Amino acid sequence: MQALLSFDRAPPFGAPLRFFLTAPAFAVLAGLLLLWSGPDLFASRWTPEALALTHLLTAGFMLQTMLGALFQLLPVVAGANMVRPLFVARLVHVALTVGTLALVAGFLTYEPLAFRFAVLFLGAGATLFIAAAGHALHGIPATSPTIRGLRLALIGLAVTVAFGLLLAASLGWSLALPLAQLTDIHLGWGFVAWGCALLAAVGYVVVPMFQLTPSYPGWFGKHFARFVLGVAAVWTVADLAGWTLPSAVLSAAVVLCAAAFAVVTLSIQWRSKRAKLDPTQVYWRVAMFSALAACALWLAASAIPALAGWQGWPLLFAALLLLGGFMSVIVGMLYKIVPFLVWLHLQNLGRGRVLAPNMKKVLAETHMRKQMYAHFAAVVLFLGAVVWPQGLAYPAGAALVLANGWLVRNLLAALGVYRRHLVQIAAVLDVPLAGAL
Amino acid sequence: MHNIREFMADDHRRCDDVFADAEQAVADGDWARADARFAQFRQAVLQHFAAEESLLFPAFEEKTGMSMGPTQVMRGEHVQMRELLEEGAAALAARDAEGYSGSSETLLIMMQQHNMKEENVLYPMCDQHLVDYVETLVPRLQAQIQNQPGADA
Repeated sequence: MQALLSFDRAPPFGAPLRFFLTAPAFAVLAGLLLLWSGPDLFASRWTPEALALTHLLTAGFMLQTMLGALFQLLPVVAGANMVRPLFVARLVHVALTVGTLALVAGFLTYEPLAFRFAVLFLGAGATLFIAAAGHALHGIPATSPTIRGLRLALIGLAVTVAFGLLLAASLGWSLALPLAQLTDIHLGWGFVAWGCALLAAVGYVVVPMFQLTPSYPGWFGKHFARFVLGVAAVWTVADLAGWTLPSAVLSAAVVLCAAAFAVVTLSIQWRSKRAKLDPTQVYWRVAMFSALAACALWLAASAIPALAGWQGWPLLFAALLLLGGFMSVIVGMLYKIVPFLVWLHLQNLGRGRVLAPNMKKVLAETHMRKQMYAHFAAVVLFLGAVVWPQGLAYPAGAALVLANGWLVRNLLAALGVYRRHLVQIAAVLDVPLAGAL
Repeated sequence: MHNIREFMADDHRRCDDVFADAEQAVADGDWARADARFAQFRQAVLQHFAAEESLLFPAFEEKTGMSMGPTQVMRGEHVQMRELLEEGAAALAARDAEGYSGSSETLLIMMQQHNMKEENVLYPMCDQHLVDYVETLVPRLQAQIQNQPGADA
């Protein structure tokens, strides 16, 4: 009952949209950072520029879109209604944006004050979101793998943020902590127990929905998130306790969980009934292959000492997973979510008297496709730049700026359609526009 | 014997299959086949709506006393999907592949999120509240969906 009616209580468009529009701006900043730093960024995963760029993409691009999508999805797919969603979204959005900028400034300057600001704002934003989402999900029976998955993914987010805050705090207040070890734990939770678990929870709904595929296998939906979180937790304990061999085996198990998700997803996407591959489907498939390549590289590096000794492999891994994997799949989903929300809100506001433009009139497929090619070019150039920084660092930076500038443009074009139709609706129905966005 | 959820969810899948056939025909540029498949799809969807609006929803509303609740939300979504179906039909008649693909894409997502709410929430509620009527209700739904072509609301 609650889940059903809650659709009408879906948050105002402004709640998810502010995150969706800010996210690509951070990716543009990542490209600009690469243009500014040039090949030096690729010297190792620990260069200030590499750390700043990684967080522009993770806290800036990924986290913004993931939280924005959750504001929309929690009520719609789980019947979990947040209290005052627009108000919470505004606060979380500001805190997250300021916190990410402070964190990036911290990496680039090593100014302790910047890290302290980052801890304050990112900590406040994440805590507020987790509390609001946790409260909304409280008492909702776990009747679907999505609801179970969302809950567990939130735990994954909380642990990721906790380790991240600990790391930033140690830089802000000069605490003596084992930074390299804590960083790996932060990464493992962020990529797999939060990122992959959330993607799976959302994927159970949107992959069959957008692509007319069979459902994910029952056993997978039932056990995946639980298994991932369990393995990540045991690995963390083993790693912190200094049990070298169990920790190595368990970290490989965490990576294999991500690979399993990619394989299962590809196997059901193979059976899609859609007539042709649209940009969202291409984005999903490329993302899954890229994630698989990242997992294979990780496993190879832990087995082959010569590869492990190469400074470039963690950068290559991160590029495959973040740019080729998470960013691809996120942009692919934005291309369904944003046009659909524009249509849905206009349709509801038009009350059957003003017809809403369909999704492809909101955002034409050719624009999405061209942006997608720019994104893939950016991914390939970035991968190349890891191997040959002198030649490809600048083209990779330029491509990153281009692809994400294009994404901003596409999203703003959709918003433009929304605004123009709002004016039309206001004129036809003779109602004021205030509050619609 | 099927329960309501199984029976109606199976019919959702049947609609999905015909939707995919119609989309494939338009993508192939085979307009004659597209016309036939789309007509089949439209009829399948409208009969499904009609079965819900004339049999299932009234039975649920009468038993629970909730006439402004979930069934009202579902009726509203049916109206929106009927509009999208008409938009698709017009695009098909105009041989406008781009226009068809825009309205069918929108309809697909609208339809899937609608199905999700029915299958996860409303149908289980129907099975629970209408447990004494399932044996007579399911065959009547079946008759409405299968044997009365053109029974749109």
